[in-house]
Amino acid sequence: MKKRNPLSPYFAYAKKCFLNRSAYRFDHLMNILSTCLQIFIFWEIYRALYGNKTQVDGITITMLTTNFVLSAGLGAVFCPDDYFLPGKIWDGSISTELLRPISFKGRMIAENAGNALFNLIFRFAPICIIAAVFIGLCPPAGLLHALCFLVSAFLGWGVLWAISFAVQMTAFWLINIWSILTIKNVFVRVLSGSMIPLWFMPDWMHKIIAFTPFSSIYFTPVQIYLGQLSFEEIALRCTIQLVWIIFIYAIGDILWKKGQKKLVVQGG
Amino acid sequence: MKDIANLVGMYMKTTAKSWFQYRVDTVLKSLAVFLRESTEIIVIYFTLLKFKELNGWDIYEMLFLYSLIFLTYGIMIIFFTGLRDFGSTVRSGSFDRFLLRPRGELFQIIFVNSDWFAAVGHGSLGVVLFLVSAGRVGISWTPALALYYIFSIAGGVLIQGAVFLFLASLNFFLLETGSLKELLYYNMRRFAGYPISIFHRFIQFLMIYVMPFAFVNYFPAQYFLRKSDINAFPEIFMHITPAVGAVMYLFAYLFWRYSLRFYKSSGN
Amino acid sequence: MSFIEVSKVSKTFRVSKRQAGVTGMIANLFVPKYEKRKAVKDVSFSINEGEMVGFIGPNGAGKSTTIKMLSGILYPDSGEIKVDGYIPYKQRKSYVSRIGVVFGQKSQLQWDLPVIDSFELLKAIYRVPDKVYRNNLERFTEMLDMNAFINQPVRQLSLGQRMRADIAAALIHSPEIVFFDEPTIGVDVVGKERIRNFIRELNRQDNVTMIFTTHDMQDIEKTCDRLIIIDEGSKVYDGSLQGIRKKYSTLRQLDVEFADDVEIQPINDVKIVNMEQNKKRFVFESREVRINELMNTLLNKYNVKDISISEPEIESIIRKIYNRD
Repeated sequence: MKKRNPLSPYFAYAKKCFLNRSAYRFDHLMNILSTCLQIFIFWEIYRALYGNKTQVDGITITMLTTNFVLSAGLGAVFCPDDYFLPGKIWDGSISTELLRPISFKGRMIAENAGNALFNLIFRFAPICIIAAVFIGLCPPAGLLHALCFLVSAFLGWGVLWAISFAVQMTAFWLINIWSILTIKNVFVRVLSGSMIPLWFMPDWMHKIIAFTPFSSIYFTPVQIYLGQLSFEEIALRCTIQLVWIIFIYAIGDILWKKGQKKLVVQGG
Repeated sequence: MKDIANLVGMYMKTTAKSWFQYRVDTVLKSLAVFLRESTEIIVIYFTLLKFKELNGWDIYEMLFLYSLIFLTYGIMIIFFTGLRDFGSTVRSGSFDRFLLRPRGELFQIIFVNSDWFAAVGHGSLGVVLFLVSAGRVGISWTPALALYYIFSIAGGVLIQGAVFLFLASLNFFLLETGSLKELLYYNMRRFAGYPISIFHRFIQFLMIYVMPFAFVNYFPAQYFLRKSDINAFPEIFMHITPAVGAVMYLFAYLFWRYSLRFYKSSGN
Repeated sequence: MSFIEVSKVSKTFRVSKRQAGVTGMIANLFVPKYEKRKAVKDVSFSINEGEMVGFIGPNGAGKSTTIKMLSGILYPDSGEIKVDGYIPYKQRKSYVSRIGVVFGQKSQLQWDLPVIDSFELLKAIYRVPDKVYRNNLERFTEMLDMNAFINQPVRQLSLGQRMRADIAAALIHSPEIVFFDEPTIGVDVVGKERIRNFIRELNRQDNVTMIFTTHDMQDIEKTCDRLIIIDEGSKVYDGSLQGIRKKYSTLRQLDVEFADDVEIQPINDVKIVNMEQNKKRFVFESREVRINELMNTLLNKYNVKDISISEPEIESIIRKIYNRD
């Protein structure tokens, strides 16, 4: 008997997702163009807002652009499939999916990882290069900061994935959760700083945001990249990211177990 | 006529019944749409809270500008949800079924899946924005102005309807058009919320001649507000929104008729 | 002029060619390759009113494409289709109210709602008069035994139940022609039998013209009188089910049970297949090997316990026609 690597089915799923993406070529180019256009227009708006000023509250336009490009770029990389579980519950295929001899959650992560890798190479990289050439970006604050950025960005993915995971679990009870997912995404977009730089939020908003996981997704990595945090602060923020991942995942997992029980009781 | 009304009634009844299988989601739907669309408003609000004005436009003028987009979109989407989602209709093979029924294709697309709750979300946001802003931007309403307003709204509805119809037609040629719509429509719409005078010539060109959002909100709004930045554009632009809408819709419709014969059906 | 006339119809699709591996994928992203695939080539046939015709062929042979052209969904690239004087893809709206289509893989029922709601909606779509609707509904409910689940949401039905409901839905407006695309796929044996009985009954009572595509030969054997075989876009056989045996079945097989486990020496032009225990099957062309000579050889050389001659199953004949076996 040849011993099989227990992880190989997950790699297979990840690879499948990676390869599937290449079928939608036109779509993909449009996506990149779309993001570039957003970045360009964002830059234009802030140029108009800044007028003759070179900086506001110590933030230059290049820093703003860097924040926006990195947030948009990371956003393009992460994109968890919010309908992975709800889709399977709605069309009833969940009961057969759960019979397969592999972990459903593991597969969720694997497929998202396959997508993320594709996006990292074919979306994040071109977007950053185009933005750097045509608009100009800040370089990372230092080599160590760049490395910490990568770690923190990875954790940011974890946070976003965990949020999506936990919210998807409500589909066991509600089946159709389009509205809840949409509301979730509104929170992610506004409070993560990907649409409006968190620097310019009023103080009372900062207080609210501090109690949510959203700024851990993009803003923490961006701040590390720009060198706005000392290394003690970096360690603290990354720990906070990790705590959020564990906390949200744990909630999702409880729902996952209860949801499966519910599925068994109803007989699919 | 009676037959058509009867069928439309049946479609609405069926759709409503399907929705009420998922009560929580349906009740939340309008709220979700309202929140999702408010994202842009929230961004503008926080930005102007920080910067006070943008190229001479204050917050209420900006909201008035934005309200036109949501009112027109809200009306348009009552009818055109089916066209918005036409890509998935084609991919899933459901369009085959439409073709097998003795009714017009467009008629079925429009009425089979009308998204009334989403329309309420969009429309109510438009109304709220209008109520908040219209009294504070110094318009003295006369019957003539009201008539102008109504015609502009109609024109704006047709312009966006034409874009949706055109993009839906492309599904007969392309595998995936979601991101083209994202690029051309949703992206541009996001930035149509700002006065186009702040943008680069190229973007202005796009907004006037390619995806003419400028006629949906900027030019009609300027007819009321007369901010000085209108001087960069021909006077006539403030008067032709209804004509632009009618012509665009006619062309889009002809293109749709022409494209239909290229339908490939899926599943082979 | 027959009821359905198809003459020299062709249809070509442009398909994007996917290249294997990661390098292929990257190449694909920038330089896509397309190839033209002729799904249907110069196909002609005619069908009379009230006939039941089975369309078979391997996956991708062009069955579905033909059905879709016949039902007005697709335009043919060349050739002509006429059904009772209509050109399906040109007079779509008036034509389709006279046909019914069942896609086994794709339900037309409202997924979230009780079955009966779908019927009501179809009644409005097809402008079915109240009386006809009530009659049909009553009749189909009984024939297809739908009473038990007609008020249940489609989501909760078994595949067999859903398929029965789907068939009733395609017939609620009393169509004159019905197309079935894989109507028994995934249905259990009892369910299949029920569906076949219903189809036969309906054809007999209402003289409805029926066209099938299926992978299940039993479907064809139990329902159709006539068979059209399509392979790689072309028609390769058109005739009765019996005729196919006569025309193609030059294959014969001899099943022999030996007294003990013996090694059989090779025999010219005969394929020897080992079966269970001491049984072996000898397969050969009737014009190459004479059956009595073969039997003599076997009886003389070996200790034979039992011997029987059989005709191959229709399925294996058809596989031979596809040239895939």
